Amino acid sequence: MKVEFIEILDFLNSCPPFDALPDEERETLPPKLTVRYARRGQLIMEPGEMLDSLQIIRTGAVEIHMRDGRLLTRLEEGHIFGAQTLLRGRRIFSKVTAIEDSLIYQLPSDDFFSLFKQYYDFKVFFGPVGGDRLRRAIRKNEETGFGSVQGMNTLLADLITREPVWVSSDAPIMDAAQMMVQERVSSLLIMDDGRLTGLITDQDIRRRVVARGRAYSDPVGTVMTGKPVSIVDRRTAFDALIKMAKYNIHHLPVHRGEEVLGLVTPSDLDPYQRTSVVYLVGEIAKMSTVEELRTSSLQIPKLFLSLSESGASAHKICHTLTVVANSIAQNILKIAEETLGEPPVAYAWVATGSQARDELTVQSDQDNCLILEDEYDPDLHGDYFKRFSEFVCRALDQCGYVFCPGDSMASNSQWRQPLSVWKEYFDRWINEPDPRSIMFCGIFFDMKFIHGDERLFWKLRECVAHHASQNQIFLAYMAANALSHRPPLGIFRSFVLEHEGQHHDMLDLKKNGVIPVVDLARVNALKDGIQVVNTRSRIQASQKVGGLSTSGARDLLAALNFINNTRLRYHARLMVMGKEPDNFFPPDDLSDLERHHLKDAFSVVQTIQSALEQRYQLSRFK
Amino acid sequence: MSGFLHQFSRLEIKRRHLLKSAPEGPMRDYLSQPFPSRRKRYEELRYLALDTETTGLDDLHDQILSIGYVPIDGLGIHLRDAAYHLVKPYREIPEQSVVIHGLTDDEVYSADSIESVLPKVLKALKGRVLIAHYASLDLRFLGWACRRTYRCPLLVPVIDTLDLEYRTMRHRNQYPKKGEMTLDALRVLYNLPRYRAHNALSDALAAGELFMAQASHRAGRRRLLFGDLAS
Repeated sequence: MKVEFIEILDFLNSCPPFDALPDEERETLPPKLTVRYARRGQLIMEPGEMLDSLQIIRTGAVEIHMRDGRLLTRLEEGHIFGAQTLLRGRRIFSKVTAIEDSLIYQLPSDDFFSLFKQYYDFKVFFGPVGGDRLRRAIRKNEETGFGSVQGMNTLLADLITREPVWVSSDAPIMDAAQMMVQERVSSLLIMDDGRLTGLITDQDIRRRVVARGRAYSDPVGTVMTGKPVSIVDRRTAFDALIKMAKYNIHHLPVHRGEEVLGLVTPSDLDPYQRTSVVYLVGEIAKMSTVEELRTSSLQIPKLFLSLSESGASAHKICHTLTVVANSIAQNILKIAEETLGEPPVAYAWVATGSQARDELTVQSDQDNCLILEDEYDPDLHGDYFKRFSEFVCRALDQCGYVFCPGDSMASNSQWRQPLSVWKEYFDRWINEPDPRSIMFCGIFFDMKFIHGDERLFWKLRECVAHHASQNQIFLAYMAANALSHRPPLGIFRSFVLEHEGQHHDMLDLKKNGVIPVVDLARVNALKDGIQVVNTRSRIQASQKVGGLSTSGARDLLAALNFINNTRLRYHARLMVMGKEPDNFFPPDDLSDLERHHLKDAFSVVQTIQSALEQRYQLSRFK
Repeated sequence: MSGFLHQFSRLEIKRRHLLKSAPEGPMRDYLSQPFPSRRKRYEELRYLALDTETTGLDDLHDQILSIGYVPIDGLGIHLRDAAYHLVKPYREIPEQSVVIHGLTDDEVYSADSIESVLPKVLKALKGRVLIAHYASLDLRFLGWACRRTYRCPLLVPVIDTLDLEYRTMRHRNQYPKKGEMTLDALRVLYNLPRYRAHNALSDALAAGELFMAQASHRAGRRRLLFGDLAS
């Protein structure tokens, strides 16, 4: 009679990496196991002993301590330990204790090695832990998942297929046009002495030559677009799309150093037009009323879904949505100026929060403020800017960027102040930190210029960045604030779920997932006077100046990536089901492997948080 | 109690006595191995967790349908040496027990006879202590089968996981209610996984795991002897 352990097999079916084995292989495993029980507090392994089997926790939980007593990790049901020991030569270097009554399955080392050699997925699972494993999972997703994403990651150098078609700027317009006909191109580069000086398109000839009755013998240099925006060939197709969207252009020269390699258009980059961000931004730029803008903004969810379907990473999706939001805001500001008349003094409209960090999602509210020139006189100009701000904030709200619940908007007079007042604000926040001011810092340290007089914006930023990096007490406050949101991981590596209300038993992927990383990146950036605001860029910059270790930065980026991808995929799924996207995520929706990865991501964040805690000795703040 | 009696328990004396009259073959071979002393540390002994499925609870009319067992030693339960035997009944099985065990007539009637299964069971049991939940039921059916086959009763040292738990509760002046002492209920107490399937093998494994948990909790830091656990 065949011996079948159905229950054990069921367990292995859902236990990574055994779930990845072929069924026939997995079915042979239960009879190879030895079952062991350890009561709470019982020592399972001691340094110096030799290990002869892989340990699989069926129920319960264990703690692994280093020889010096430091806690290495806590493991629970479905987790595996001993693999590294077996791979390293079987000698045990750590102490393993049951912290719950535990039932443990042991797979003899010979059987473990046989699986390890035979099955790639099994082997990969036991690769280096944490960040590495997570990075590998992400890479695998991005590599194998979706054809078009690969397209979006293609280097421009590999996309350029033909030599650049060009004329010099003194060539007659007619020659240029004939060249375009001959070469069947819709645009032409203008080069002088081997350097790019301009660009001319079909549309330019229609508008600037024919419509204006110019002589076809005039030099093309007089009607070209001079000093065109260009991009280096080391960038990706996605970068090129974002750049075109940002500047609302459809032709982008690609260069390597001084040498011009060619030109790309949106259809070169994205033949399927799945990510029509360039067109959407082009459409937004044409709109002249708020109502028209509102209609255009209705396409944003569609853009999000198509990006999400194509498997684009969260970073790319958020960046794209932010470019769209910026162009909507810029256009609203222009409409506001037209409607209310010329502004009486110069101003800089500034986005704060996630928009400033290029991290908008489909359901973001608006955060903004207004920096006014110091000539501003509340009695004379106050009314204009009040109406101006209210106009813009209301228009943004209509376009889907709903009013900020915390009222951190330019329509709030507190956040509509001349440069000197803003400097005082920051001075006070930095020199006399308290919990309230630290909260404001979290919002206003992430700034991005949107429209108006950019010099006002830079004057404020420079003065703030310098001050902040000098004040240790302020930095300690910011660090403590960065630790106020913890990853939702309990002591047994189980998820800590929301307990109350309608989000009962859910994970808050924003509050406990993304925000801790954003806060960590910010405080590290402030410490080293780093000016960039995007979280990824901040982490990369911190690593360059040595504020974060190379591995720490790498792990943190991978963690952010994974948490954010999970969150945005969830948004997309809710939207497809016709629901409002939110950040409350039911962990049951995850596969076991995803659950593992999400826990890895959270524990990376925990590790970096505790490093920060130690640096500023934050236990004093509790 | 004198040292002599301690060392040679009543069961061991009975074994020596029975060995003389046991027929040649599996039973005699089984009885030739001395039973373990009650003064031995429990970790040093070897065990066999066993379960039988029967057509009913009456050992006069009902019969064994299947036997499952898993060997245990100080290191754990070794599933490699686990076994599961279907037993061909010598009478038709009543319909309701088919429903309980999920065994079909075809499966059961193509099985081995109890006479050919018993030698395997005795071989596995040799030198081991039997572990079962509510052992007296299994012992009654196995004993009856042995008497019928070998004209000799089944003599075996036993640890009954139900009895063990019951004695501990009584010791604490607790009086367990009906339903609190089932295998499933006790396993929950020791944080053991819930098993859905019930057949002789999974119940044998379930009882074996429960025994390891019970012993491990009773051992604590002191020396726990076989005699402390035995029924």
